[in-house]
Formats: sequence, C-alpha cells, structure tokens
Amino acid sequence: MNTHRKTLYTAAAILFAGFFVLAAHPSWANETGLPHSMVKITGQEDFVHIWTLGAEGIGDEQDKLVTVDVNPNSKQYGKVVNALSVGGRNEAHHMGFTFDRRYLWAATLDTSKIFIFDIHTDPAHPKLIRTVTDFVAKSGGVVGPHTVMPVKDRMLITGLSNNRDHGGRSALVEYTNNGKYIATYWMPTDDNLQGAKKTGKYADGYNYDVRALTRLDTMFTSSFSGWSNYMMDFGKMLKDEQAMKRFGNTFVVWRLSDRKPLKVFDVPGAPLEIRVAIDPAHDYAFTAATLTSKLWLIYRDKQGEWQAEEIGDIGDPSKVPLPVAFTISSDDRLLWVTTFMDGTVRAYNIEDPFHPVQIYEKHIGSQVNMVSTSWDGKRLYFTSSLLSKWDKKGKDNEQFIKGFVWNGKELKERFVIDFTKEKLGRPHEMKFSSYSLYGKL
Amino acid sequence: MTLNQRKCKLSRLGLSLFALLILVATLSMEPATGSNVTSGPGDVKTGYDSKTYETRSISVLKRKGAPADLMRVLQSPPRGLPPVPVPKDNPMTQKKVLLGRKLFFDRRLSLNETMSCAMCHVPEQGFTNNEMATAVGIEGRTVRRNAPTIYNVAYFSHIFHDGRETRLEYQVWQPMLNLNEMANPGFGYVVGKIRSFSDYKGLFESAFEGRGPGIETIGMAIASYERTIVSGNSAFDRWYFDNDESALSASAQRGFGLFTGKAGCMACHVIHKDYALFTDDAFHNTGLGWRFSVGDGQAEVPVQIAPGVKIMVPKKVIDSVGKPPPSDLGRYEVTQDPADRWRYKTPTLRNVALTAPYMHNGVFGTLKDVVSFYNKGGIPNPGLDPSIRPLGLTDDEMADIVAFLQSLTGDNVETLVRDAFAAPIGDRR
Repeated sequence: MNTHRKTLYTAAAILFAGFFVLAAHPSWANETGLPHSMVKITGQEDFVHIWTLGAEGIGDEQDKLVTVDVNPNSKQYGKVVNALSVGGRNEAHHMGFTFDRRYLWAATLDTSKIFIFDIHTDPAHPKLIRTVTDFVAKSGGVVGPHTVMPVKDRMLITGLSNNRDHGGRSALVEYTNNGKYIATYWMPTDDNLQGAKKTGKYADGYNYDVRALTRLDTMFTSSFSGWSNYMMDFGKMLKDEQAMKRFGNTFVVWRLSDRKPLKVFDVPGAPLEIRVAIDPAHDYAFTAATLTSKLWLIYRDKQGEWQAEEIGDIGDPSKVPLPVAFTISSDDRLLWVTTFMDGTVRAYNIEDPFHPVQIYEKHIGSQVNMVSTSWDGKRLYFTSSLLSKWDKKGKDNEQFIKGFVWNGKELKERFVIDFTKEKLGRPHEMKFSSYSLYGKL
Repeated sequence: MTLNQRKCKLSRLGLSLFALLILVATLSMEPATGSNVTSGPGDVKTGYDSKTYETRSISVLKRKGAPADLMRVLQSPPRGLPPVPVPKDNPMTQKKVLLGRKLFFDRRLSLNETMSCAMCHVPEQGFTNNEMATAVGIEGRTVRRNAPTIYNVAYFSHIFHDGRETRLEYQVWQPMLNLNEMANPGFGYVVGKIRSFSDYKGLFESAFEGRGPGIETIGMAIASYERTIVSGNSAFDRWYFDNDESALSASAQRGFGLFTGKAGCMACHVIHKDYALFTDDAFHNTGLGWRFSVGDGQAEVPVQIAPGVKIMVPKKVIDSVGKPPPSDLGRYEVTQDPADRWRYKTPTLRNVALTAPYMHNGVFGTLKDVVSFYNKGGIPNPGLDPSIRPLGLTDDEMADIVAFLQSLTGDNVETLVRDAFAAPIGDRR
C-alpha cells in the first residue's frame, strides 16, 4: 500500500467514524441517557428489562431481571416474558450496557454485587453469565455500585458508600468490559481536592450518578448518601437528626479522559440523576436535588467555564415531593420528572434551559420512581420502587410497571403489570432492547 | 487541697469571663467532631444546622493504621481504671486478641457479607456510630437502640442497654445471629464459614492450643479483643487521681463540683475512691423509654433537608414511608418485672464526648441536650427514677458540666483507633 492510498484510507476511516459518531449522537437521550455513540434503538423497542428488587414475602423473594414484551404488535404485549432470579436481596438498583450493548451490568447497593447479563443472544431471555462478587475488595473499600457508564472498552461505576463506616464518602471505580478491575478514583474531599476547585462551601466526597459529554472531554457526578441511609427505613431516617445530616450537597465536574475532578459545586439537598443535553450546541446538563425539590442547570458560560445554577422548583418543595428520576427528550425540549411522594410525573419545557416551564403533569400511582422514554418520545414507562426500605408502606406500596403513550398533549396508559400480584418484587430501573438491535429480526 | 478549695482559685471576675467563653463555645458545640481522622467521623457535620456550614471532609484513605501493643493494658491499666477483669477460662493472649480483632472487622461474618461488628462500632466514632440515632442492621433492618460504645466494656457485668447478657464471650453471638443485625442462620453456619476462609487457616488452632473455630473460640477471641479497648488517663483522671492541677480547666472543675453535688449525676455515674467507671451498672427510668411507648403526640416533625434548612413534615407523611417502630420496654424484657419497664442501663461516661448521639435511643445529639434534659427532671411518668428531678442549673452551670464530661476522654484514643485501622477489613475476595 503506497502512502497516498494509506492517506485516503485514513481520511475515509476518519470521515466514516465521524459520520458514525454524528449519526449515533442522538442516542444519548434515548432510553434515559445512554452514551452518545452507543448503538441505539431508533424504532420500536421490543423489550423492557427491569432490575427488580426481591421483596420479603413476595414470590421467591430474590432480586431478578424481569423482561416485559412492549412491542404492540406482539401477542405478549404488556406481559412478563422472563424473570431471571439471581439469588439474594442485594438492593438491585441501576444498570448499564457495555459499549457494544450486548451485555447488561446490573449493580446492587447492598451486597455490592454486579450481575452481568447477556442480552444480545436472546433479548427475550437474558442469561446471567457472570457475577462480580469482589467489587468492595478490589476497589479498596467502595460499597454500593450504582451507575454503570461505558466509556469505550471500560465501565465507569459510581459507588455510594464505603466499607469503613457505611457513610457517604465514596469513589468512581473503573473496570474493563470483561470485568477486570482497573482503578478507583475517590471523590474530592476537603483534605484532598485532587486539584479540583471548591467553588462553594461543600466538598463532601459523596457520589451518585455519572454522565459524560465526550465531545467536551467532560464528566459529571452528583451526590446522594451512604449505605447507612439508603438502607435505613425511610420513616426512621426522616426522624433521625444525625442521619439527615448525611446527604450529599455537591456536584462535581471532571475531565473525562484522565478522570480528574475539576470543579466542585454546591448543590444542596442530594442531587441525584444527571441528564445531559443532546444537541452538540447545547453545553449543559440537568440535575434535580431530591430533598429540596430543586432543578439545577450545569452549563458552560461564555468563557467556557462550567457553572451551576438553580433554575426552579419541582412541585411544592414544602411538601417534599422528592424528585427521583427524570429523562430528557431527544430534541432537548422536554424534561420528564417523577416525584416519588405524590406519585406524579411532570413535563417541563426546557427550550430555555435557564427557565423551565411546567406544561403537564399526571398522577401515575401512589408512588412512582423511574421513568424511561423511547427515542421518538412517544412511549414512556414508569416503575414504582425507590429503595427497598424507602418505598411506601401498606396499601400505598403499589409495585408496577406502567406503559404510556404521549401524543404531545397527554399521557395515555397502555398497560400495567402489578409486580406484587405477579410475585415479582419491587421494580426499579429499566433498559430497552430489540431484536433489530442484534440483527435477529 | 480539697476539690472545693481548688475551685476557689480563680477570681470571681475571671471565673465569670471564663464561664461566659465556655458557655458561648459549648452552646454551638457538638461532640465527636473536629477534623482528626481518629476522633469523629471523617464526614464532619458540625454546624450542619447552620447555613454557614462548610464541609471539612477527610478522605477515607487517611485512615492509616498503626498496630499497638494491646496487651499492655493488662499489665498497667490506664489511670482511673481498675485492673481489667479477665475470666479464668479465657486468659488473654496476643494471638487471641489479634484473631478477635480480625473477626471484629470481618464483614463476611454476616449472612450477606455486608456487616461486621465494626460497621456499628466504628473506631473513630467512639466505637459506636455517630451518624445515626439507632442502629441499622443487615438489609437495612431496624435495630431498636443506639449502638453502645465498646470502650471499657471489659468492666461491665451487664451488657446491652437492657443488660440481658453477662459475659462478652456470650454477647458476641447475639448480633451475629439476630435477624436484624448480622442474620447468620446458626452457629454452625458461622463456624463453617470461618473454616472455609483461607485467611483464617491455622489462626484459631494457634491461638487456642489446637482448637479450631467453634462457638466457644469465636466468642473468646472477639471478647479478648474487646477487653483491650480500655481507655482512661483522661484530663479528669490526671486531675482527680494524680492531683495534677493543670490537667483540668476551671470550667470542668466547676462541672465536677456540680456533677458530684447540685446536679447529683454521681448517684448513678459512680466515682470510686481509686477508680471511676462512671456507672452503677444498674437500670433507671428517665422517661425517654416511656414517652416512646406512649407517644409524643407530635403532629409534625422537623426534618433537615440541607445545611441550615429544616422543614416541618406531617407525621402522617413520615409514617407512610416508615414501618412502625418496634416496641421497647427496656430491662423489663429481661426480668419480666413491671417495675423494670423502661429502665435502661447507666452507661459509662468515659469518652462520652466521642460517643454521640446519646441515650438508649440516640435521641440527643449533644451533651448539652443531655444535661438540659436532666436539668428539666427527665420526663415524668409513673416509674420515673426518684433520683431524677428538676435540677435548677443555670446555663453557665450546664456548660460547666459539659466541660467536665468532655474532660473524660482517654489519652489513648488515637492509639486504639489507629490500631483498629490496622486491622484488615474482611470482604469477599
């Protein structure tokens, strides 16, 4: 191969790669925030996989990956087609695909196990292929793996706690796609800011969600609470003055490439999920502080500096609605926010990201937690469970997945599965899969 | 020189000014604070009630260990403490102590391998847990009472807040088997598990003359370690027992006078001639247990949602997300004697500045809160201990008592905590 030809091939490869990145870019918003260049489901999703907490007295009481058929053309539409028990109640919580979207890593907040499922071989019937049981030891004492975010051939995992005091100081942990431990990056604390700028009064070392804007080599993390609180009976904790001091009040901006913290912002009241804008011209992300019920915008100013700004209330903060999950539409125009205590979802117009305007709300159930949207924004799915010890008690402890369609004006319910009646447990996070994604049509 | 004479050394003016300073300092003071990695949570929350709160967090990696000679306490107990009582059937040895320490920090010794003794008895948090009122066990299950400190537990014949256990060797097994603590399904399960861990190979046999892990040896090893968590030679000890005049502040000296006099604290928190355990090892009704059982009638509860931000939340909202707390009748649960309802063991006051929150249910976050509670005479109820009555203490006097209580911190806390940091934390590998 001569030099000229090599150059042409290289240019073509770069162009192709660029095209691929740009074409795949909108997938970031789909399915509640998958990374930019991950392969996406552009059409109808076939299945929703629900990481479900085992509940004492319900069925086999174990955590399980529940698969629901959500293709309206299927005879099984709105039905559970598979439930794969994994053993134990591990406080199933969040999941993340590997970059090739073939495997799903399902993390747990209590035992810190990570269950790795093969999704691509048969999306209707995921298989458990490996369980990581030594996450705490390997990571140097990080407890409670939460968000699993693929970065090329690596998996970045947020931890929520530690094995010294079960408090909120924790770290990011990096693994290979194959499940090999690479490194631990502890969150910046006052005694070791690791070069980050403490912009306000807080640098608590807490952790929760992680998202990235790869085109800007930027990563964001939020902050929640440690094992002692997220595993504690919610009512008991609310009355415990000491426990209520142990919530995160920080949001950290990192340089993605070397996992280096750059800025620590004050975001009081436990900022949980992070959603990043999709449009390449939109250099911002949102987070919601759950205890204070405030929506925050993290944006780049004209000087290219990251800033954090409170941009509005979610519901009536005095009634502690507890915003717990949200999703951004693919056109950066709509933000769907669920609030656990009043079981409501609210839609905000965010065309002006500094001034969100609520345009719609609907009561989903006595409690609601996760929300996931399809790429075209026409289908929304809701699950009910927040944490095993935080869910409502008695008759308000509804456990469900509900599927809705959005016609631009209102949500209309299409199916409901009662997870208590089906003896499944407490449904938490959802991920989508489809036959087309794996060439199995 | 008598103690009263000591108290008269400062001029009246100087006394007042000093008291004022102490009062100001104490009013905003919480125990177990500071930014020292060995005394208080590294996740420092002092001043969290105020909007001026600033973090002073310490990385968990700063918990650097330094093994200590734990056996030394047997030869020479710290000033102010008697010889450590060691049962004849479980003589202390270095090997047992080290094995016990390893077990104490082993999270694998619970059903789902998340809880060790040390998750509730955190070394730098006074060997208790400063971060919650009442403990949380496996899978987040509710434990009714505040985790008591391990400091000086070697001296007590009643263990647990209700005194239901009499020996550390026996006590060890309760948390390991209780469904809401470590939830192991049986003795044999624990024994078998330890036998399966390669890192324990030969350790029991070496410590117990050939005997392997078993019901007795596991209890004896952990008890041996706990008997070394002895802490004395505090500022008070040096002042009181060694007549070191400079050891105790004037405020703390006045506090001592009140503690032993007007406030009557010493009736239960006993000081002997040659040593002081600050407990009568007996059980008393302060009214807190009674009020918990009959209810406080509050319609709203203050809930802190951010630094300096508290809101009132209707109790019915809180109840909607909380299981009804289990009942707690105190010592009665052991004796079945109605007179013992809502009686709880007098805790030691040694290292009390490190062991917040206070009382059997962790209801008070500061020593000032505790003193204020007793100043008001506890909570009237049919079984209220007759020694608890309104005390008529002024704010200055309460501050002096708090200063005295803060003088009870042993001088070897850092040594014991650093030694604990040196212990391996048992996690699945």
